[in-house]
Amino acid sequence: MSQSPMPQSKIRCLLGMLGTDVHSKGIRTLAQLLRDRGVEVIYLGEHNTARGMINATIAEDADLVGLSFSTATYLHYTRDLMEQMRAAGLGDVPVMLGGLIHADDEPALREMGVRGIFGPGSTMDQIVAFLQSATGKTLPSGISASGA
Amino acid sequence: MSGDGQDDALRAAGIQAHLDDVSVKLSRTATWSGLETKASYGPEDVAETDYARDLGDPGEYPYTRGAYSQMYRSRMWTLRNIVGYGSPEDTREGIENALKMGTAGINVVIDTLSQEAIDPDHPILSADAGQEGCSLPMVSDLEILLRGIDVTKTDIAWHSTMMTYPLVAAMATRQGKDLSQLQGSHMPDHLQLRLGGWSEAIVPAGLGHRTTVDCIEYSAKHSPRWALGCPQAYDIRERGMTAAGEIAIGMAIINQTFGDLIARGMHVDQVAPSMAWVSTSDIDFFEEIAKFRALRRVWARTMKERFGSVDPRSQRLRLACHTSGRSLVYQQPLNNLSRAAVQTLAALLGGVQSVETCTYDEPICIPTEEARELATRTQQILANEIGAARTADPLGGSYYVESLTNQVEAEALAMLAKIEAIGLIKAIEDGTIESLMDDYNYRHHKELETQQRIVVGVNKYMPKTSTLPKRFRFDPTRMTAHIERFKQRKAGRDAQALAQRIDALYRIARRRENSHQAMIDALVADATIGEVWGTVRCANDLPYDPFKAIESPFTYTKP
Repeated sequence: MSQSPMPQSKIRCLLGMLGTDVHSKGIRTLAQLLRDRGVEVIYLGEHNTARGMINATIAEDADLVGLSFSTATYLHYTRDLMEQMRAAGLGDVPVMLGGLIHADDEPALREMGVRGIFGPGSTMDQIVAFLQSATGKTLPSGISASGA
Repeated sequence: MSGDGQDDALRAAGIQAHLDDVSVKLSRTATWSGLETKASYGPEDVAETDYARDLGDPGEYPYTRGAYSQMYRSRMWTLRNIVGYGSPEDTREGIENALKMGTAGINVVIDTLSQEAIDPDHPILSADAGQEGCSLPMVSDLEILLRGIDVTKTDIAWHSTMMTYPLVAAMATRQGKDLSQLQGSHMPDHLQLRLGGWSEAIVPAGLGHRTTVDCIEYSAKHSPRWALGCPQAYDIRERGMTAAGEIAIGMAIINQTFGDLIARGMHVDQVAPSMAWVSTSDIDFFEEIAKFRALRRVWARTMKERFGSVDPRSQRLRLACHTSGRSLVYQQPLNNLSRAAVQTLAALLGGVQSVETCTYDEPICIPTEEARELATRTQQILANEIGAARTADPLGGSYYVESLTNQVEAEALAMLAKIEAIGLIKAIEDGTIESLMDDYNYRHHKELETQQRIVVGVNKYMPKTSTLPKRFRFDPTRMTAHIERFKQRKAGRDAQALAQRIDALYRIARRRENSHQAMIDALVADATIGEVWGTVRCANDLPYDPFKAIESPFTYTKP
C-alpha cells in the first residue's frame, strides 16, 4: 500500500509544577531534552494552580501535560488536577508525572487516571516512547516507532 | 551451533557481565565540575604560589589554610542535624529527640509554605502546610515551638530566609527581651531563593535583594550577636553549578550586598564578622577541598582589598556546610552512607566550622530516626577513628590540591567578572544565571547518558534488588489542629490595632524604606507572615497572593 507522507503536527507538551514545590531543576532539564527530540514544549515553571494549568492546556492546545513533584503532596495535587481536568472536558488529555514519585504510590496515581509515571531511574527513551504512544503522534526523528 | 556451545557462550557472557559489574575502573579524568586533571602534579605546578601571599598559616591572612590557627583542636566543628515537620508541637518533639541523639544546638527547617511566606489556611495550598518543615505562620506558633527556650541565651540555627528574623525578633519583643542580646542565625539571602525555584512570582530579584539588605542592615544594628548564613550558596550549587560557580555566584551576591550596605553608610566590618558562607560538600573529594580553600582566599582578599576591611574577623571566612543532597541517589540508597561519609571528610579536611551530614534516605523521604542516627555516627567515626580533626589543612602543600585550589579560584574569578559585567540583578532577571544552571544540568545529564560520568546504581552497576527504606510518616492530627487554631487566632485578634500596624508597614514599604521594624511591629500584633509579606508585595505593586487566590483583607493608605 502506497502511503504519502502525511503532514503531521508536532507533539505539544505542557510542563509545569503545582503548589509550593520549588524543585524545578529536573523539569527544566527535561524541557530541553524533549525539545532536542522535536517536542514542542510549553514550559510553565513553578507555582501553578490547577486552574492555571487547565487554562494553559486549552490556550496552547497541548497534547499532553507533564508534572514534576519533589515534595510529598503530589497525591493531593494530582487528584485535584485530574478532577478539574475532567470537569473542564480535558479528561482525555494524557497526564504524566515525574520527580520523586514513590513506587508505593503508583497504583493510586494510575487509579486517578495518570498515564505516565517516571520516577527516579526513568530514561528519556521511556518518556519519548510514552509521548508517542499517548498522543498517537510520531516524533520527527530518533526512536520513531513507525519507521519513517 | 550445538546446544552445549550455546550454553557455554551464554555462561561466558554471564561471567563477563558479572566481572564487569564488580570491576573498578578509572572512568573520568576531569573533576566532577569538569576541570581536567593530570596523571600527577609536581613543584612546577605550584611554582607561582607564594606561601605567605597565597596560603599563609592556618588562622593567618588570606586564610586559605583555615580560619583558625589550631583549627579543630581549639574549636571542634559543630555537628548539626536539621529538624522540622508538621506543627510546632511536632517539630518541638523532633528537636528533643535530636538533642537526645547528640546534635549540638537546635537547627530548624520550616515548611514549604512558611518558606514562601504563605499562610497555612491558603485556599489552594493548605496541603503543603507542615510539609518538609515546621509550619510557623505567627509569633504564637514560634512561642509553642520554643516554649521554655530563651532566644537570648540559646543558639538556634534557622534554615530559612523569608520572615525568619522578623518573627524571632517579634517574639523576643513580645517577651520583653533585649533585641541586642538575640542569639541564633538564619539565612537572609533572598536572591538565592529567586534562583532556587521561588522564581520571580514569589521573590522578584529586585525586591528580594532589597529585603536581604534591609534584613542585614537591621539585624547588624539591632542584634549584633545574630549570625547570618550569607550567601546561601548551597542551594545555588545544588541547583546546577560547578565548584567554581558556587564561589562565583556566592561572591557576586556578597559583593552586591556589601556594595549596597556601604551605600547606606555601613562599614564592612560591622557586618562581615557575623557572616558564614553556607556551602555544600559535593561528591568530588579533592575538588571540594580545593573549593573550600580557594573560597577562603577569595573572601579574605575581597573583604580587605575591595571593601577596605581592617578587622581580621571579617576577612576570616567561616563555613557552614551541609553535604550534597543532589549527589545522593534513590537507587540502592544505603550507598549514600558512603557518599555522605566521604563528603563529610572533604568538608573537614577543607576546614569547615559546622557540618550537617545528609541522611542516606534523603532522596526517598524526610529522614527517619535511624538514618539520622547513622548520620551522627558518621561524623563521630570521622572525629574519633579516622583522625579528621587532628591537624589543620592536612592536604595543604600537596602539589595536586594546591594546583586544584588555584584552578578553582581562577575559574571562579573569571565567571564572577562575567556576571558583574552584566550586573548581578540583571543577570538574574534576564535569565543569564538560570541558563548557566540549565547548561550545567543538561551537560550533566548528557554525560550520564553517554557514561562519560558514572553514578553507581544510576547508569552503571545497577542494584540487583530494589528494596527501599521505610518512609517517614507523621500523624497529621496535630497539624490539622494547628491549622484550626491558626484560623481561630486570626479571628480573635484586635482588628483595629492590626490594621494600623499593617497600614504603617505598607506606607514604609511603599516609600522603599527599611521595613523590618514595621514588619516586627505587625508580627507582635499577631499579623501572620502571609499578611506581612503580602502587604510588602502590595506596596511593591505585586499581587498580595502570588497564586492570586486571595485578595488583601486590608485597606492601605497611599503615602
